[in-house]
Amino acid sequence: MFLINELISLLAANMILTRALGTSTLFIASGSRKNLVATASVITLFTTCGSAAAYLINYLSGGKYSNFILLFYTLAVGIIYIILLALFYLFFRQGFDKVRKYIHLSAFNCAVMGTLFTISESSSNSAEGMSLGDFLFYGFESGAGFVLAALILSAAFGRLNSSRVPSSFRGFPAMLVYLGIISMAVYSLK
Amino acid sequence: MKRSENRLTSGLFADNTVLSACMVISPAIMCGDTIKNAIALIYVFTAITLPSVLIASFVPKRLPYAVKIIIYAVISSLIYIPVKILAENYYPESIARIGIYFPLIAVNSLIVYQTEAKFFRMKRTKMIGSLIFYVFGFDAVMLITGFIRELFAYGTINSRMVDMNTVISGLGKPFGGFIFLGLMCGIYRKIRSMIPEKKVRSDVNVSD
Repeated sequence: MFLINELISLLAANMILTRALGTSTLFIASGSRKNLVATASVITLFTTCGSAAAYLINYLSGGKYSNFILLFYTLAVGIIYIILLALFYLFFRQGFDKVRKYIHLSAFNCAVMGTLFTISESSSNSAEGMSLGDFLFYGFESGAGFVLAALILSAAFGRLNSSRVPSSFRGFPAMLVYLGIISMAVYSLK
Repeated sequence: MKRSENRLTSGLFADNTVLSACMVISPAIMCGDTIKNAIALIYVFTAITLPSVLIASFVPKRLPYAVKIIIYAVISSLIYIPVKILAENYYPESIARIGIYFPLIAVNSLIVYQTEAKFFRMKRTKMIGSLIFYVFGFDAVMLITGFIRELFAYGTINSRMVDMNTVISGLGKPFGGFIFLGLMCGIYRKIRSMIPEKKVRSDVNVSD
């Protein structure tokens, strides 16, 4: 029952299906299993680490500098971006060339930046605010939501790109309509 | 000469930011449901993208790719600050409704990624011309989307009631945005396929 509840909450709060965040990255990720695993892993890393950074920024700013929040988040994601590149370069040098394109793709992505703003918004709306643990959990959950949406799309990826679909609608337009139908089903869960 | 002009204006139709390049689609899906929202998005996108790309073009090309990407994002985040202050005065309701998509437009992939892949390979004067058409391309799609979705979802045009027999309220929801944009992309591709010697770009290679 716990797993079903978690699955429903993952769907209902899914950043792609309910907020359209990171949609085109999803299209790239669902193209192949290798892309899916790599992109989803890197995005989850960014959303989790970024959420911790967002917590720190919100805590230090105390809600005073709302106009500068984007700048602070951008700098935080930029630092995580550099750290991730450096870590992969130092410890996984053999696979660095293959991995770095996923890091480049994921850094300043709607999925990542959108997650930080969504969590901050939720935190400011809640009466007691949210703890660091909550930020980390929701950051990780957003990444997991991306994986779930990518799995849903990859299940139909081949058909949506097949020659049976009229050429004008093949690929991106068909995937958008498909995501719309899935989003409609998720909307009924809310 | 004609080919050069075509390249300059390609952002308006042939290589449209939303319909062809699949960029900045989240705000279009989530917030492009009324003309007022569309105009607010157009203002934000135009006011941030044009100066950001222009200033970013002065960033030294020798810097590592990751550092340049961060600098581009920081430039647009800085430009976002005065744009936000002005927007809160002119479009307070729409800005509140756009919510988190407002800052997300500031770090859109046209600024962060396409600058490197597209604009900075051109001479600066040509880059400015091309950029203006890319921005116009986004603006046109947003206006069309806002107009049609508002008309059919709420039965209004710019918040004024229209005599509509059928209202499809789902068009105002996120799923309606997905489906509408998908249909619009399909129609756009069909029109493009009818124009001879123009190849429709089918693959997606950028982040939103």
